[in-house]
Amino acid sequence: MAGWAWTRRLAYVYAASMIAANLLMVYALLARDFSVSYVAHVGSRAVPNWVAVVSLWSSLEGSILFWGLVLGLYIGGATYTNRDRHPEYMPWATGVWLACAAFFSFLVAGPAQPFLTIPSPPTDGPGPNPLLQNHLLMVIHPPLLYAGYVGMTIPFGLAAAALLTGRLGHDFLRPLRTWLMLPWAFLTVAIVLGGWWAYEVLGWGGYWAWDPVENASFLPWLTATAAFHSALLMERKGVLKGWTVTLILATFLLTILGTFMTRSGVFNSVHSFTQSAIGPTILVFLAAATLFCVGLLATRVDRLAPEGGLEPSVSRDTAFLLNNLLFVLLTFTVLVGTVFPLVVEATRGTQMSVGRPYFDRMAVPIGVALLFLMGIGPALPWGRASRVQMRQALLPPLAAAGVFTALGLLAGVRHPWTLVALFCGGYTAQVTLGELWLPVARRMRAHGEGLGAAVSGVQGRARRRVAGYLVHAGAVLALVAVAVSSTEGITTEVQVARGEAVTLGPYTLTFQGVDQLSEPHREAVVANVAVRRGDRDLGLLQPRMNYYASQREPIGTPAVRSSLRHDLYLSVLNIDPEGRSIGLHAMINPMVVWLWIATLVMGLGGLLGLLPSRRVHAAAALAAPPAGEGLEAAR
Amino acid sequence: MGSRWQATLRRGLRLAAVVLALGLPLRADTQAATSSEPSEQPIDLVHVASVVGPAQGPRLTAGALEAEAQRVGALLRCPVCQGLSVADSPSTMATNMRQQVRDMVAAGFVEEQVLAYFEASYGEFVRLQPPLRGVNWLVWLAPLLGLLAGGAIVFFVLRGPRGGAQTPVGPGPVGSQGSVTAPVSHTAAPDTAVEADALPDDAELARLVLRIREIAYGWPGGVRPRAKEQA
Amino acid sequence: MNRRVLVAGLAVTLPLVALLVVSLGRDPHRMDAPLVGRPAPPFALRPAGGGQPVTLESLRGRPVLVNFWATWCVPCFQEHPVLTAGSRRYPDVAFLGVVYEDEEPRVQRYLREQGGAYPSLMDDGGKTAIAYGVYGVPETYAIAPDGTIVDKHTGPLTDGRLRALVDKARIGAMVGQGSQ
Repeated sequence: MAGWAWTRRLAYVYAASMIAANLLMVYALLARDFSVSYVAHVGSRAVPNWVAVVSLWSSLEGSILFWGLVLGLYIGGATYTNRDRHPEYMPWATGVWLACAAFFSFLVAGPAQPFLTIPSPPTDGPGPNPLLQNHLLMVIHPPLLYAGYVGMTIPFGLAAAALLTGRLGHDFLRPLRTWLMLPWAFLTVAIVLGGWWAYEVLGWGGYWAWDPVENASFLPWLTATAAFHSALLMERKGVLKGWTVTLILATFLLTILGTFMTRSGVFNSVHSFTQSAIGPTILVFLAAATLFCVGLLATRVDRLAPEGGLEPSVSRDTAFLLNNLLFVLLTFTVLVGTVFPLVVEATRGTQMSVGRPYFDRMAVPIGVALLFLMGIGPALPWGRASRVQMRQALLPPLAAAGVFTALGLLAGVRHPWTLVALFCGGYTAQVTLGELWLPVARRMRAHGEGLGAAVSGVQGRARRRVAGYLVHAGAVLALVAVAVSSTEGITTEVQVARGEAVTLGPYTLTFQGVDQLSEPHREAVVANVAVRRGDRDLGLLQPRMNYYASQREPIGTPAVRSSLRHDLYLSVLNIDPEGRSIGLHAMINPMVVWLWIATLVMGLGGLLGLLPSRRVHAAAALAAPPAGEGLEAAR
Repeated sequence: MGSRWQATLRRGLRLAAVVLALGLPLRADTQAATSSEPSEQPIDLVHVASVVGPAQGPRLTAGALEAEAQRVGALLRCPVCQGLSVADSPSTMATNMRQQVRDMVAAGFVEEQVLAYFEASYGEFVRLQPPLRGVNWLVWLAPLLGLLAGGAIVFFVLRGPRGGAQTPVGPGPVGSQGSVTAPVSHTAAPDTAVEADALPDDAELARLVLRIREIAYGWPGGVRPRAKEQA
Repeated sequence: MNRRVLVAGLAVTLPLVALLVVSLGRDPHRMDAPLVGRPAPPFALRPAGGGQPVTLESLRGRPVLVNFWATWCVPCFQEHPVLTAGSRRYPDVAFLGVVYEDEEPRVQRYLREQGGAYPSLMDDGGKTAIAYGVYGVPETYAIAPDGTIVDKHTGPLTDGRLRALVDKARIGAMVGQGSQ
């Protein structure tokens, strides 16, 4: 036990040292201490203080230091919450965590050293990349992304501990699930926030370009989601233990792969840090970690004996298996597409691209299939369903499916995949909302409670279930919003002279002239475009062009007018400096706001699932409503 | 165009350097650039046809032209941007390429010809969708092969191990002799061995356990269904 | 030891790691130069400052060096003296500049200050740059007397590199790749 106590102390020491190091760096950045190498690299006297703080993660060395901070907080937190529990697993888990921490500390101390002293410090620095100074989201997105990404190290350690000890019992499922869910929630929000940032800042009107680094953040999310569902099946049936563990190990390895892709300079991406020597080091760690995982699985997975079996049937169990199949297939597809240019260059020696059209074509059918599965799975009961049960479960949601599709057709949707997505979305929406509503309704009837009390009672008793269906509800909304916004937008690109107007859909856009703006770190020319809808004056939209001293091409900032129905999106392609004309790129993007709302719902659902809920007496559980609903595991 | 500010700055700095060197008074540059509207070169249709062959489609105008130009533009990669398509990128190069696409589509060239023209200048890199040739087939077939492989794995997982399997023989797997009490798993450590389907001795508890199994697993009567009962 | 898991695991992970190792050091921004060995795309562009359009056709029979540049490009500024000297040193080679994404008055001012020994042509609309597969400046193409592109150089030229390009253009159509 003394060994475990010391391991815990080491974990806390690591956390404390990372906090101290990061605070030191932030202080140096705020004080504009250019004798520190990293500050000389990204600091600047011209930028506001919030940009100076944000510079901590804007460039490579600082981002590794920040990684250490997030890792330290996670390791400290995970060690502390489990200090009195699971004594057979925790020392192993903490050991694995600290091994990862050792690698990242090595990076900070060696190849990515940000604290080098510069003998003759410059008086000023260049400041971070201008693209990173354009929007407040730069403050939120990277920390959230790291909280999701780095956090996957914790379930990795727990899964490795399960393999190392040779068992994975029910008692260990709870921390495994919790520490998988927490980074997952952060990662979900972070990925979509990244899309929102691209949408608001980059000016091309989209939010996802299947850029290699975007894919790098998406891959572990896919395997983590699959792992989570696999863990649910494992909890129910005691099967797929080895597979769940494999998925969690894969999630961690994909985060290391992702960090390699971002920092090695091997991939062509808008998010890439500049090329550096750190790539080979991370690759060595990736190779070592991969061999460790494969070896561990090969030698130990047989110890994780299943406690039940699966049978081929139309049931929720099979739906879970299909869920895993589809998620892993999507992971495989995106991974192959992302690295394929490397394969071609290695074999043929020429450059080629695998871009958005390819990924969209592959991801859409899989996404729609998952959307449909999200409805079928929860509708079916656990275990083999009789024909009557199947009919009762699977047919009614077709009503909402039909309604959604009809509404889409009425609204003018003609794109075939979008209509299919609406159909599946309607189906799943009815199932999901039904699963959320029915327990509440039943409780209101059975106990005579009001709505509020019933909701509170249900989520108190079956919190994980409510959280899960809340996440599903958000996912349905997100997928439908993605389908509609990708295919049903309209766009126009036109040169507009001052005083001239152009129509797009219901809007009339009149270019009224430009204003000059002078900010400490940039100059800007703002185009004033008056927006009218019919005879209603909707005010001014002001897309702008920002000119930074260190860049040739100016960076435009779009102007967006959001409503629940659609976004009016304006960006400027060129501005005549006297303001006589502008090149205007105008778009109407439907249902984009719903994507952000959906992500919020998913994030809240995820966090709700993390809150502990009351234990329920076993007898009360047995007295619950009839079969077909499944036993609600209240934890 | 857009980058006047840096150019002005640079020009000013260079002028100042020259002036200081020669000791001449600075001449304030007040000349507004009389940028004559650049007369855009029309595309050289003869050259384009020499690269991609004669135009194979109808000449498009107005709405159809814009829609098709947008569609084809989304398949071309902007060479100076990071992964954006020509239709999406705001850069000057992409704007020029969009115009080229528009002109070609207006002249009746079809999508494949437009893509081939840019590929002749920039290489395969400029196509966002890998063309079907040589090793590129792999990337198009990979998802399908993955689906088949995954489907096969799911099928085998559901079917369960058949005699002497690698995967650990759990208690009473489907497809075996369907006994209610099954041999202990021979690969697991003793403390993980579970005797499935065993009932507690107490009758009341046994009744409750059967009821739970019925609700949770859908087993009729709480008894695990035998292999041959599968529909 | 579960052999199946071992083989499956290695089969999935080893190729990926090997691929990444092999790809280290790859420059993701490098682009192929497929036009080398192909006929140079024709153009008819007017010189900066006015005058009759200059066509590539009219230079058939002479080796030609086409240099894409811009006033805002720092490496172009660095290679300008090399090109100016080269145009004088190799009078049999026709030197041509093509301006990329720039404005005529700026170009004229630049040439007045820096000296221009050969015509620089305005590529309005950028179609010639697209035809030549230009994605940055400076880029220089060496064209043989029969109109075939024999080499392409990306980046600023040095005297040595310029000499090599000129030699290739003089010799004629040679099978070769573009160089950095």
